[in-house]
Parts: sequence; structure tokens; C-alpha cells
Amino acid sequence: MDPFATLGIERRFDVDLTALEKRHRELSRAFHPDKHAGGMPSEKRAALARAADVNEAWRVVRDPVRRAEALFALAGIPVGEDREPKAAPAFLMEMMEQREALAEAQGAGDRDLVARLAEAIHARARETQTILTRVFAEPGEDLAPHLHRLGELRFYARFLDEVSAIEDLLDDSAGRETRP
Amino acid sequence: MTLLEIFDPRARPRPIGIDLGTTHSLVACMRNERPVAIADCDQEVLLPSVVSYQPSGVVVGRLARSLAVEAPRDTIVSVKRFMGRGADDPETRRLGPYEFAARGAASPNVVRFKVRGREVTPVEVSAEILRALKRLAEDELHSVGGAVITVPAYFDDAQRQATKDAGRLAGLEVLRLLNEPTAAALAYGLDKRKNGHFAVYDLGGGTFDITVLLLEDGVFQVKATGGDSALGGDDMDRALAETLLLELGWRRAGAPPPSASLVRVVLDTARRMKHALTDALEVEASLPAASGEDRAVVITRERFEGLVQTLLERTGVACRRAMKDAGLKPEDLDGVILVGGSTRVPAVRAYVRALFRRDPLTDIDPDQVVALGAAIQADLLAGEGPKEDVLLLDVLPLSLGIEVGGGVVDKILPRNVTIPTGARATYTTQEDRQTGFEIHVVQGERELAADCRSLARFTLKGIPPMAAGLAKLEVTFRVDADGLLHVHAKELTTGIEQTVAVKPSYGLDDEAVEKMLMDAIEHGETDLAARRLAENRVEAHRIVTATEKAMADDPELLEGDDRARIAAAIQGLTEAARGEDAGKIHALVEALDVASKDFATRRMNRAIARAIEGKTVDQVTRDVST
Repeated sequence: MDPFATLGIERRFDVDLTALEKRHRELSRAFHPDKHAGGMPSEKRAALARAADVNEAWRVVRDPVRRAEALFALAGIPVGEDREPKAAPAFLMEMMEQREALAEAQGAGDRDLVARLAEAIHARARETQTILTRVFAEPGEDLAPHLHRLGELRFYARFLDEVSAIEDLLDDSAGRETRP
Repeated sequence: MTLLEIFDPRARPRPIGIDLGTTHSLVACMRNERPVAIADCDQEVLLPSVVSYQPSGVVVGRLARSLAVEAPRDTIVSVKRFMGRGADDPETRRLGPYEFAARGAASPNVVRFKVRGREVTPVEVSAEILRALKRLAEDELHSVGGAVITVPAYFDDAQRQATKDAGRLAGLEVLRLLNEPTAAALAYGLDKRKNGHFAVYDLGGGTFDITVLLLEDGVFQVKATGGDSALGGDDMDRALAETLLLELGWRRAGAPPPSASLVRVVLDTARRMKHALTDALEVEASLPAASGEDRAVVITRERFEGLVQTLLERTGVACRRAMKDAGLKPEDLDGVILVGGSTRVPAVRAYVRALFRRDPLTDIDPDQVVALGAAIQADLLAGEGPKEDVLLLDVLPLSLGIEVGGGVVDKILPRNVTIPTGARATYTTQEDRQTGFEIHVVQGERELAADCRSLARFTLKGIPPMAAGLAKLEVTFRVDADGLLHVHAKELTTGIEQTVAVKPSYGLDDEAVEKMLMDAIEHGETDLAARRLAENRVEAHRIVTATEKAMADDPELLEGDDRARIAAAIQGLTEAARGEDAGKIHALVEALDVASKDFATRRMNRAIARAIEGKTVDQVTRDVST
């Protein structure tokens, strides 16, 4: 499935997220099963399948990692962690250090440090995204040498998920201590 | 109020909205483009969700509640808390007067209450409540069409399926399962015509939901939902009841265990004290003490609030998570809507005010707002709703996944994705010559399958022996607009397929529901054949109407002998619908479906082309057919 075609939007990495939301709502208005409740049975089935595809495509396109995966795949480059080149040792080392720092910040309950570490990774992710925007926009660009950037994006995403989980934990314990 | 509401046997069936609640239930319909709750002959709109199995028959509502003390085991209160739960669920071990049946051979994991020498499942008990509401609606509307039944947003797949089964058992055509907070937002949003981000805090009798949604020009888009399907006013009652039992000496070493009817009395007293504490600062109750005589116990509001504090904090954790999932901070909200009778408790309001840093909105009756929203949605689905373009976009409340090696869950669909939706994942064999795949579908946020809710287990068999890693199993998840999951598995190298409607682990399979329908006849409820016939006639009428309307709207899309074939199919079906043969009607409904398929496909392709501007119909058609 080409999620960009399903949504009827241009195939590019730097999608306009506001326009994407709007497009998703328009297509939902057209295909959501509620809008076909009085339709013919095969029409209802087709609308349900289409609405599901639209939601699935929306989920892919709005997430930078899955969007990049889709763009590589559409360019004929197979993606998936076992098919992509291993990350550079220097990068892995650096990420390990960041993770250790995060674990320490969590142990110390230092919310500010957690936020600073997250911001640093955010900045790195933005940098990678800028590069990907350029290479995906370049006609005839050889994409294969850029495949390792996908692994990097996943690393950043996982790191930020972890930050989010840590913040939840810190919030919950704070919530228990200071009753509103 | 219309002056002349004379009975018309040909009255058009009217859609209804039902709030099937833990403590009470109600039904609503549209009148003069406004949703209204339907009252019984005593002008009461709230039907206590209590079912009492008496020697003379089944009693539902206020009378049943009054029988709860003398027949505590045969009177099921708060049945919603048992929906979709297994016999081994902690819920069955909480404070309560019931007797449960030992695991049966059929559907071994379903809770069964022992009442008056027979066993009933929560689905059957809920169906009794739905039947009572249906009768109430019929008295008012003469003819009831489809129903929208609300469920807590945080209900998992098994609980949703159980609710739908109950609707079917009650003889209702379930148009949609609608999430309670979304229903409330619909009633509220259409009433106030507001745009913006809203949080709906719904604390009912037995369930808690938090939903964050964006209202924008008629689209109600749920951004995140969270909650606890076993947390509500009942838990406040239980906490208070435990305190009362303690004060009365029943929890002292050597004291006899309180009888089932005493437990019922204490729980009811706790509920009344809770209600009284909304206005009073302290209340007193006289109850039988373990020593034999009655003793007065005084509970202050402060003490009660101390008892419910942990419960409130559990709601706070869910609220913070939902806000975070939605990417919002309290100050980004345009309003907080309170739903559910338990939000009348002053401590709850104070907690919500502090949590969201604003005064919550309470101007629609928190007991009625969900049913009113359901009535609006039922009307929309029946195609006779308000003229404005309204659309509800709801989400999956809990992640869905497959158990993989080491008991770890591979999440296939994360929580809070917009539904309907689908996703695929591919797995491979672990061992040489492995000829079957065991698939275990689970729901929940935990990493290990054992900590999640088991939805279904099935085995894809008959795969020819191959070396490990060669067979490719593709599992497809589809979640429909009711939030119900359908799983499809396919081995890609051989093409062996299997589709399962997810039910089994904790639900009733189709056979069990069928058997309940048969049992209902024995109890003089209904005639199954007559019901089938009526259902098939409704279906026939619906498909004929839809097809005729489509033909009138888009005559240019009829090609070749479409018109003649479809017209012949319509005629055949119309004639069959006048007859008594339910099977024949069903077959001809399918025949019309086949006859109109090409025409329907052309209509859908054009709709897709129109929705996606800038693309030619040919391009779009190619996308659709792949």
C-alpha cells in the first residue's frame, strides 16, 4: 500500500502536518462507515475497508520513522532492522552514553536533566530529518547510502519513548506525594 | 408534546440510544430534533440495572432492587462489572453476595451466576435490562428500529463483544457500540456548538473513562482515551461498606462471616450514606452489629473522602497519561465535561478542578448525557439525523498484539489509533518441520502476554514441513467502527488461510449465543423463527431502499444490463419479504448484493476519486483493485 496515494498527497518527507490532519478529516467524512450506514452492502464493506486504509496511511505518514520507511520501500529499498546496515560503532557508543545518562537522571529523579537529554536527542532527530527531506526530494538521488539514517531515527524515537515513560513514572510518584 | 399520538401499526421504526450502565440504565430517542430520555409510567427515566430471578419470573429495575435484600443471591446488581470477564477474574472475588457456578464445559471462562437453580451469564442478565428498556421504548414509540448501545471507552474487546451479544439476545438490532465519553461529548457539543479541545471525565457506577477530544466543525475526533473498567462509585460503596463492617465488629477475629443479605444491606446503606454526604457533613446509620444488636455508626464527609482518595488518584494517573498521549497540557483545554453519577461527589469535583485547573462543566445531567448522545448517534446512523455534518472519530483504547517468543507481546496496533483501522505483521517458524502456528491475540499495554488480556488463541494448521524460518505467516488485524477486532492469518508460501472473529478466550462463541436464544424461547420470551423472519424483513427493506436510492442518485453509473438485473433482484426480494420463508429472504438479500456489486463498486470508485482531488478515476481504480 502506498500511504501517500491512499491519502492523495505528494510523496515527500517534509509533510505539512496541519494539511495532513485536514486531509484525514476530509477523507474520513467521505469514507467513515457512519457515512455509509444507509448504503448498499458492498458499498458499506468498501467504505469500511477504505476508511481503515485511510487511518492506517495517516498513522504511517504522520510518524517520521514510518514515513521514512514507506519512502525507502516505495523507492524499492527493502527496510526492516535485519535488512538495514548495522549502525556505526561510534554512534552506538554515543547512544549508550546518552542512555546511561538518562538512567542516572531517572535514578536521581532529576526532571530537568531528563528534559535536557530529551532536547539533545530531539535536535539530533531534527538534523537527520532535514537530511532525509533533502535526499528524498532530490530526483535520481541514490537512497541506499542513506538507509542507516532510518536506524538512527528509530534509536531517537525509542530514546524519546523511554523519556516519556520516565516522565510518566516521575509524574505518578509526584501525583501521589502532592495530592491536588 | 404532540396532541395526537394515535397508535399506528405501520409506524416507522424509530432508532434509540441506550446507556447500559453499571448502576442504572436508560433509553433515549429524538423528538423534534432534540434528544430526550424516555420515562416509565412513574415518570422515572433511570432504570436501576438490577435483575432479580424470582420463582414467578424475571424482574428488572426498582422492584428488583427492593428484592435484593430478601433474595441477595438471586438478584444481580452491577452486572456490567462482570461483562466479558472470566470465572477466574479478581472481580468475582470482591465483596458481593453472589454464588458462582463452577467452570462449565462450554465457554469455561465465562462467569456464571447461580440463581434459582439455574445458571445465567452476565450477557443474559444484561439482555434482561436491555429488554426492559426496549419495552419502555416500544410503549413510547410503538416501533423500535436499531439501537446504539454505549460502552465505557476503556472496555476491551471481550467486554464490547459481550455487550453486543447482550443486545442481540434482547432482540435489538445493534447499529453501533458507542463509547460513553464520546456520546457525552456529542450531546454536549451539539448542544453548545463549541469548537476546541475537551476532556470528558466519566466516573460511573463501575467504570472510569477519561477521553480527550477535539471538536471541530462537527467532527468529534478522539485524541486519546484511558481509564479503568473496574473503578467507580461501586468501589466507593465497597470501601465505605468495609469500614462499616469493621466498625460493627464483623471483621474482628472470631466474628461470624456476614450473611449475603447483610452484605447487601451494608452495601446499600453505604450507597445511601455516600449520596447523603454530597450535601451533609456527616450521616448516621443503624445496622446489625456482630454482637447481635443494632448499632449506630456515624460517618463524616472527611472520613469518606479519606476512603475514596486512593480511588481518585487512580483516575488522576489515567488522566495524566491520556493528556500526554493527546499531546496536551491542562491549560490547552477549552473545557472539562463531567459525566456519570459519581461525579456528584464533592471530593470528585474538587479533584477534577485541581487536576485540570478549571471548573468542570456540569450543565447537562451527568446521568442522562450519555444516553442523549447515543440517541443522536442512532438518529445519524438511521439516516434521519440533524442536517449538519456530524462525524465521530473514535480510537482503540488498548493496544492489540500477538504473543511471540519468550511470552513477549509484539504490538500490532497501539492504543489511541483512530478506528476503523487495520495492520499486518509477518512471523516465521521457529523450528524445522513445524506444521502449525499457534496464534495468541492479546490486548493491553504490558510487555508480557501473561500480564495482558487474552482475547483468543487459535492454530493455523496444515503447513507443509519446511526448514525453520521459511514459512511466512501474515497476521492481519482489522478493527471495525465498534472497536471490535477481526483477525485473519495466512501462510504466504502455501496460501493456507484462517479468519477468526475474536471471541473465545473470555467470551461466548456463536454457538453459545445461539443456545441462549433457544433457551429464551423455553422461558417464553420469544419465538426464534418469528424473530429471524422479522430481522430478515428489516434487512430486506433496508437493502432495497439503499439500492433504489443509489439508482436514483447515480443512474449514469448503471452499465449494460445492470438496471434490469438489479430490478429483477429487487422484485424477487420484495416478493420473498412478503412471504414467511426467512431463509429465502436471506438468500435473495445476498442475490441483490451480488447483482448490485459492480454498480456499487463504480459508485465507491467515484467517491474515492472525488475525495482525492487531482487524481484521475483510472489511477484511483488501480489503487483500489490492488
